[in-house]
Formats: sequence, C-alpha cells, structure tokens
Amino acid sequence: MSHEAVRVEGLSKIFDPDVRALTDVDLTVEEGEFLVVIGLSGSGKSTLLRCINRLIDPTEGRIWLFGEEMTGAEGARLRRLRTQIGMIFQQFNLVKRHTVQTNVLSGSLGRSSLLGTLLLRYSEEEQAQARAALERVGLGGRGRSRADRLSGGQQQRVAVARALMQEPRLILADEPVASLDPALRHSVMRHIEALNREEGMTVVCTLHDVDLIQRYATRLVALRDGRLVYEGRPDEFDADTFRDIYGTDAEPATSQLFGTDGEEATA
Amino acid sequence: MNGGLGRLKALVVDWTLTALFLLMIEFLVISFSGRRGPTGLLVTPEETLDLLHYGWIALGALVLTLGWQLVKSPVGMSTGWAAVYGDDSEESMPWTHTVRGWFAALLIELTFLTGWLITEVQLVTFLTQFNKATDIVRGLVNPSADVLHQGLVLLVQTVFLAFMATAFAIPIAFALSFFAARNLTRGTWLSRLMYTIVRAAMNITRSVEPLVWALIFISWVGIGPFAGVLALWVHSVAALVKLYSEQIESIDHGPVEAITATGASTLQVLRYGVVPQVIPPFLSFTIYRWDINVRMSTIIGFVGGGGIGYILKPRVDLGQWGEVGTLVILIAITVWAMDIISAKIRERIV
Repeated sequence: MSHEAVRVEGLSKIFDPDVRALTDVDLTVEEGEFLVVIGLSGSGKSTLLRCINRLIDPTEGRIWLFGEEMTGAEGARLRRLRTQIGMIFQQFNLVKRHTVQTNVLSGSLGRSSLLGTLLLRYSEEEQAQARAALERVGLGGRGRSRADRLSGGQQQRVAVARALMQEPRLILADEPVASLDPALRHSVMRHIEALNREEGMTVVCTLHDVDLIQRYATRLVALRDGRLVYEGRPDEFDADTFRDIYGTDAEPATSQLFGTDGEEATA
Repeated sequence: MNGGLGRLKALVVDWTLTALFLLMIEFLVISFSGRRGPTGLLVTPEETLDLLHYGWIALGALVLTLGWQLVKSPVGMSTGWAAVYGDDSEESMPWTHTVRGWFAALLIELTFLTGWLITEVQLVTFLTQFNKATDIVRGLVNPSADVLHQGLVLLVQTVFLAFMATAFAIPIAFALSFFAARNLTRGTWLSRLMYTIVRAAMNITRSVEPLVWALIFISWVGIGPFAGVLALWVHSVAALVKLYSEQIESIDHGPVEAITATGASTLQVLRYGVVPQVIPPFLSFTIYRWDINVRMSTIIGFVGGGGIGYILKPRVDLGQWGEVGTLVILIAITVWAMDIISAKIRERIV
C-alpha cells in the first residue's frame, strides 16, 4: 500500500502586483515516486517546488507533507517539516567559501545544536556521515577543497551529498542539470536516482530533456501558464503531447525519440 | 491604491521640477534686469532670492503640470511620469525628440547658470589675483623643521586614533547591518520596523558632520584624542552600516534558499547563507574606512579632537606658513601611504 508524500490542493500563487504564477493546482505525489515536472520556463515549475517547502508562501490552497499540513506551519514546526525535504538547485547554491565537507555538513543544520553549527563545529559522527555522503557521490577525499574550486558537475554532486546528509524523505530538484554540460547530466541524475531507488526518497524533479525524462521519471506532469495540463507515464509521452505542452513552435530537444528522423539518427 | 500613489508621486515630481524651472527663470530675469536694491546698488543674489514670487510660481507650476497631463498625447510623457513609471513605450525615442528631454536639458542649463550667480563665481579674480596667496604657497614649499618632531609624534596618534575609531565601529556596524538590509527584513512586521529604525538612525547620524560629533564628545569626555576617537567612531558606524548592508543586499540569494530549505533557523541561515559571502567585502570596506578616518582625524584635531590637526590649527591662525607646510606634507605622505597600503590589502582580499 502506498502513502502520499505530498498532496497539493487548489494551490495558487500570485506575486505582487498581479503576476499569476500558479492557478488552482491539484497534485498528489505517492511515496517512492520519481515525479518529473515539465513546462516552459515561466510556467510555474520552480514556484510549485518552492511552495512545497514554503520557500515561497502560497496565495491560496493547502499542502500536506506525509499527512502533516505544511501550509500554515510556522517557526519550529515549519523548520522541522523542512528537515524532511531536501532541495537541489539549478545553480547548486553551495556556500562557495566554505569547504566541501562543511557544505555537506550544512545538510544537518535542522537537527544539530545551534551553538555548534554557528562555530562550524560538528560531532565526529556527523563528520563521518558527511565523508560517507561524499564518498557515495564519488567525491571522497575532496572534503577539504573550497566548494568553488570544484567544477559545476562536482558542485552539484556536493549538493546531492548535502541532501543525503539531511536524510530527508522527499527531494525537490529544481532543474538540477540545466546548468551542466549535456555530457555530465547523467552523472548527476544517476545520484539523484540513487536517492530515490536506494534510500527510498520520493523525488519531485523539473527537467527539460526528453531523454532524461524517459530515462528517470516514473510519472510525469506538465505545467503551462501556471496550470497543470498533463499527467501521464513517460512512455506515453510523445511528440504530440510535447507540442501540446510546449506550444507548436517547440521542438523536442532530442528528436531521435520521435518519428523517423530519430531512427536515422540512431542508425 | 498603488496606481494612485504612483500618479501622485509622478505629479509631485513634475510639479517640483516645473516650479524650480520657473523660479530659476524669474531669478535670472531679475538678476539681469539691472534692478537696484534698498542700498541703491544692484541687487545681490541673496536679495534676489527674497524677491521671487514663490506662491504664484507654485500655483503656475501646478497649472502647467496638470496642463501637461491634458496634452499628453501630442506632447508625450512628462518627466515625473517617466521617472516613476519609466518609458516603456514601444518606440523609446532619443531625448532630443521628446518635450521632456528638452525640458530636462534646459533645467540642467538653468541650474548651472543660476548656480554661477548664487555662488558668485568670479573667474577673472580667480585667474588674475594669484599674487595675494604667494605668501602661503611660499611657506608651504619651504617647510620649517621646527615642528617636525612634534608633528611626527602626533601623526602616530592620528593613525591610531583612526584605527581605534574603526575598530570600535566594526562589531556594532556588523550587528546593525543585518537589520539595515532590505532583503533580510521582509519577513515580519517587527523586522520591517527594525529596518526603518536602523536606516533612519544611521542616516541621521551620518548626516551630522564628524566635526559636530567632535564638539559634542569634547564637552562629554574633554579635549583630546579620545573625543576624536568617539567622533569618528559614531560616524564610522553609520557609514559602515550603509556599506555593509548594501553588500548584504547584493548577495547571491541561492545559498540562503538552500540553507533555509534544510530546516535551518534564522541565525544558521545568516551564518551559512550570508556571512561567508560578505566577509571579504566587509574587510575591504573596513580598511577603506580606516583610510578615510586618517584623513578625517586631521580635521577633527582642528576643534580639539587630538591628532595632528591640533597643532595645525593655531599655526594656520598665526600665519606660520612654513610650519603649516611641514604638517601638511606629513599628512599628505601618511594619507598617500595609507591609500596605497589599503588598496593593496583590498586587492588581495576580494
């Protein structure tokens, strides 16, 4: 029997003065899913993700996280709920001047003692856990480097390790590979997939590339102008649905998955 | 509500500019009319200022401003409108093609002309009467060795005075700057209130000259370098809060989001998301401030706040230009050295 990781009901977000980012979105994410959200930039994907962990406050609607209401939570309760949600960003958002190790350790801020964290002091157990997390993303031994010395792909893997350190039950990944060289995208996506498959974390991820969607998603939803316009399985997702969502001017990023052109390309 | 407020703002800007425009025209007309004042001489600029018809002009400006709104379609957007709303029309034109462009250009010309008269610029005197100042210049280039020793001692005091003022200012400015940063104080009404209070207090503190602070502290703690330290300290706090908080406002918001998302508390978000980003620029500003304080402390000494200015003032008053020359050269060398050192250090930090 599956449980709901996230339930979103009637979610709307209006940025002042009157920019409608989301309109009446209903969405349920089952535990263990790898849900991919697609849509043009400006369609509301990032806003949807940030409403779930309340980096942005919704204008209307309610959100539940593992059965507990996220909307309306404040102070310590909001922080406790947030500890259950790891987030991965397009721009990595590491603390550039801190070491890789400290960046990974910052994943545990929600549960560590205030004074210790303010002095950047962590217990030996936490240090070991952070080293193990780095090991898992293939960056063992890089802990002492300053974060901004690493390449983009490596920085994003540090961000994955930070999420791993946090031990959340849900991962929100906002275009995690959009700033990376196409050749490096799988190297990061593989680790996010591992969080899903091996750690049992539910993943909500925004993506653009059709091949990545088909490779990683277990389910797919699409936003257009802030409304949920499509829901389906990745194998049902074809060129027509793509144009439906992205508009007739758009071309799938990897055309070989659709129609005859692609077959020639793969041949 | 928002639209109404914006329109009001635009109207006030237009009204003010038009009134200034008309006032300066009247000022120039009176100045060049050959009108004589109560003494029988030509009216002075100050007397002219008293003759202007402020009430009538304000009324006329209001009429013109409202009139502009009526003829908007052929004449184009007014200056205040463009200032408040920006010109986002599809065909944004070069300034020479718009009425408001010419209006602004003329306004600047008028300001320059009026300024010339009000400040009584006398180019001919400036260019021909140099000989009256030769005594001073001769003294400055022939420094006297009499005050060299005392000057050097007080120079050391000056540099330390500036250093102590800066050092005392750092912790207070650091703490206050977080409350003075717009991006960190949007959350609750309490933080918005703190923002307003800190900003206002710092603006007031900063607008009071260090010289005035020195006078206050001299009566408080007595004549001497400590009064100077306190005067520069107060001013430095205000200046550093402004610089620090602007730096905080320009940070990359990404790490703040990332740390917030882990469930971290406000202090943790500041420690991890904000502080690492602002430390290098803060250091740089602080060193720069020390540099400025060295320069300012010479003036502080004029009124009794310690430092080299303390012995400079009486020699200026007595016209001992040779000794003044010595002290000025000492100050110049110090300021120059501080400037180079602080630039080098700041280069390395950022």
